[in-house]
Amino acid sequence: MGHSNASGDLSSEMEVDAFRRLFPLRFYEHHLAESIRPDGRALGKARDTTIELGAVASADGSALAKIGLTTMLAAIKMEVMTPSKESPDEGCIAIDFHMPPICSPLVRPGRPAEAEPVVSKQLADTILRHVKHFYGHSLLLDYFFKVLYSGMIDLKDLSLVSGKAAWMVYLDIYCLDADGSLFDAALLSAIAAFSHLQIPVVSMNDDGKLIVVSEENGEKDIVNKEKRKLSLNRIPFSLTCVLHKNYILADPTAEEETIFETLVTVVLDTFDQLVYLYKPGGLVLAFTSSVQDCIALTRQRLKELQKILDESVSGMEVD
Amino acid sequence: MLGLSLGEKQFIKGGIAQDLRSDGRKRLTYRPISVETGIIPQASGSARVRMGATEVIASVKGRGGEELSTELSVALQRCLLGGKSGAGAAIDLSSLVVIEGKICWDLYIDGLVVSSDGNLLDALGAAIKAALSNTGIPRANVASGASGDGQPEVDISDEEFLQFDTSGVPVIVTLTKVGKHYIVDATAEEESQMSSAVSISVNRQGHICGLTKRGGAGLDPSIILDMISVAKHVSEQLINKLDSEIAAAEADEEES
Amino acid sequence: MAAKAASTPTTYSPSPTTQKTKPSFFKNDNVDWVRPDGRGFHQCRPAFFRTGAVNAAAGSAYAEFGNTKVIVSVFGPRESKKAMMYSDIGRLNCNVTFTTFATPVRGQGSDDKDFSSMLHKALEGAIMLETFPKTTVDVFALVLESGGSDLPVVISCASVALADAGIMMYDLVTSVSVSCLGKNLVIDPVLEEESYQDGSLMLSCMPSKYEVTQLTITGEWSTAKINEGMQLCLDACSKLAKIMRSCLKEAASASED
Repeated sequence: MGHSNASGDLSSEMEVDAFRRLFPLRFYEHHLAESIRPDGRALGKARDTTIELGAVASADGSALAKIGLTTMLAAIKMEVMTPSKESPDEGCIAIDFHMPPICSPLVRPGRPAEAEPVVSKQLADTILRHVKHFYGHSLLLDYFFKVLYSGMIDLKDLSLVSGKAAWMVYLDIYCLDADGSLFDAALLSAIAAFSHLQIPVVSMNDDGKLIVVSEENGEKDIVNKEKRKLSLNRIPFSLTCVLHKNYILADPTAEEETIFETLVTVVLDTFDQLVYLYKPGGLVLAFTSSVQDCIALTRQRLKELQKILDESVSGMEVD
Repeated sequence: MLGLSLGEKQFIKGGIAQDLRSDGRKRLTYRPISVETGIIPQASGSARVRMGATEVIASVKGRGGEELSTELSVALQRCLLGGKSGAGAAIDLSSLVVIEGKICWDLYIDGLVVSSDGNLLDALGAAIKAALSNTGIPRANVASGASGDGQPEVDISDEEFLQFDTSGVPVIVTLTKVGKHYIVDATAEEESQMSSAVSISVNRQGHICGLTKRGGAGLDPSIILDMISVAKHVSEQLINKLDSEIAAAEADEEES
Repeated sequence: MAAKAASTPTTYSPSPTTQKTKPSFFKNDNVDWVRPDGRGFHQCRPAFFRTGAVNAAAGSAYAEFGNTKVIVSVFGPRESKKAMMYSDIGRLNCNVTFTTFATPVRGQGSDDKDFSSMLHKALEGAIMLETFPKTTVDVFALVLESGGSDLPVVISCASVALADAGIMMYDLVTSVSVSCLGKNLVIDPVLEEESYQDGSLMLSCMPSKYEVTQLTITGEWSTAKINEGMQLCLDACSKLAKIMRSCLKEAASASED
């Protein structure tokens, strides 16, 4: 904190906290000049990130993800549906992002937060993207497009009985504590919940309805014996940066998000392909070079996140 | 909120402390109760109850709007429907079964507050009790031969009606604590001076069918137990009074 | 229920729905049945509290009783809504919501409106509203997972969160419920027991002041049984208060270091 006092103007006569509140931009610029942020991070560095799998026992898959203080709880519930006529052997995924009033002083009951629909849409775009139109030309082409363009989850994996029954996957993500970079934390928790997901074993009963059976009973008519896990290909990871003058700050806190109004969110997948790029207006026009810098930072962050996710998954398996 | 001056507040509190309330009643005396039944011809059963200036209407059957605030509805439900397993319920739900496991009647009870001068919950409870005893459920005859799968055909009779057994329906007694004492059948003015209130529903056997503490300050556990025994005592008189009013109202209705 | 089922006709949960008929052992008073989690009838689940769960709030707490998990955040005292009339005492605003995955069947934890007003009634008698005139304290609760006795856990957790936020109170509010199953009273019921109960009694109190702030009873009870149920709850409440106090003390001494 010392160097903010050193610059000689008003700040030398004022307490640091008061200065921070009154002149937040100047306060930050003093820091940026020294290439450090008030919480001690380097500009391109993200906050400490943790993942805890299986936080909710009543869900089929769940995870708690924390990036700094931002906390997200994601849980998946599986229900059975009748697939549509157009795609008889595909399931469906519904993603909802919630900001309950507990997570931030800005959210009041009955008045949904502005970020809620935005993040919901971003998550759906990132996780659900898939191309149907390319199927059916040739096997080779099919394979080609599947590898290159398919989303994280193949909806065909969710089929149970073609034309009769398929999984409807409800993914609900709750923000428990909001301190910036909400989308990054939400996406991370969603992916972690998917990797924790255990699909229940079901069998058809006399009424043609599917019910959960325990594996040990050795029942015969189990519909989905092999499909207990979803295969996740091309997992997307994201990083949000704020831009200010020539500076790029990775993984902003809520305070940083309000002071610097230009945000860039980059999503890359594990095949190093750009999945999603989001820059909603803002004061600073992003130069191509700064967008490329953001992508480079995301590439580094992807490796970090992948390691954290792998560790939490293998930690589960040991238990 | 009622605009009461400090003097008026003192007058109400002082009167209650001396067992002489501003309308001349004692602490455990009700205002005059009047019951009319069968006031809504379209409903299966209906009743209007007046307690002083409080007037409510209850009707059975038919979906209604949300005239009742949720809080009152929940309190009424708690008093009438008993535990989740149905034990201690005011209405014997098995009497609503037409074919076991297949068809049953859905009863919709609507309460409407016409004018409000305190003690709404008790008045509504009384109106519902009256409306239920006024209710006739059409006798349903199951068409024979349809005993297999699928929807059995039910023939609903226009003439024959089944009467409910309403002897198990409890009454609700709300004891409102003002100062050190508690009173029954509080007016709106008196309610504005309450420190806390407890609504207790009691059936004819003297069993407690539901209890909610409403509002305000904490109470010593022994006071609550004392309130319960007072409520049991008061409820006996109230049930008798209501039963005779209901019987009179039914007789009136048949005459006219 | 019928309306709810109609709004989501396309999907259904494959988990076996709870049986409509009571398992016979609950009914049989002579047989010593065992509770689903193996507890004694008058034994509470282990309680866990932690303050400071939500950094964005003025005060917060997380509580876990078996599978029941809740978070409560407290905001304020802050400016009351513009439409509110002047008030020389403070206002308390409560809201309880459930996550969609809190209940075994998705999206069924929706009696929050009732819960919100019950939480308000349980707390209002304990808070010194006159210490924050003209302003509002918001108490928001989120039930992450519903495992039975949800409301009592929310109430106890809320009073820890209020203490964490530094809101002045006469005493902590603790809350415990008992379910009546046949002739037996079981304390701190789990979800399964609640779905079979013949009656329930929930009591919230200020243990040091020995005052009841909220009491609700459903089902048919004799006076003697009410007496027994209240005594069970009061005893459990004072034990719970010790756990809550030690949690607050720990948090206070940790922040001093």
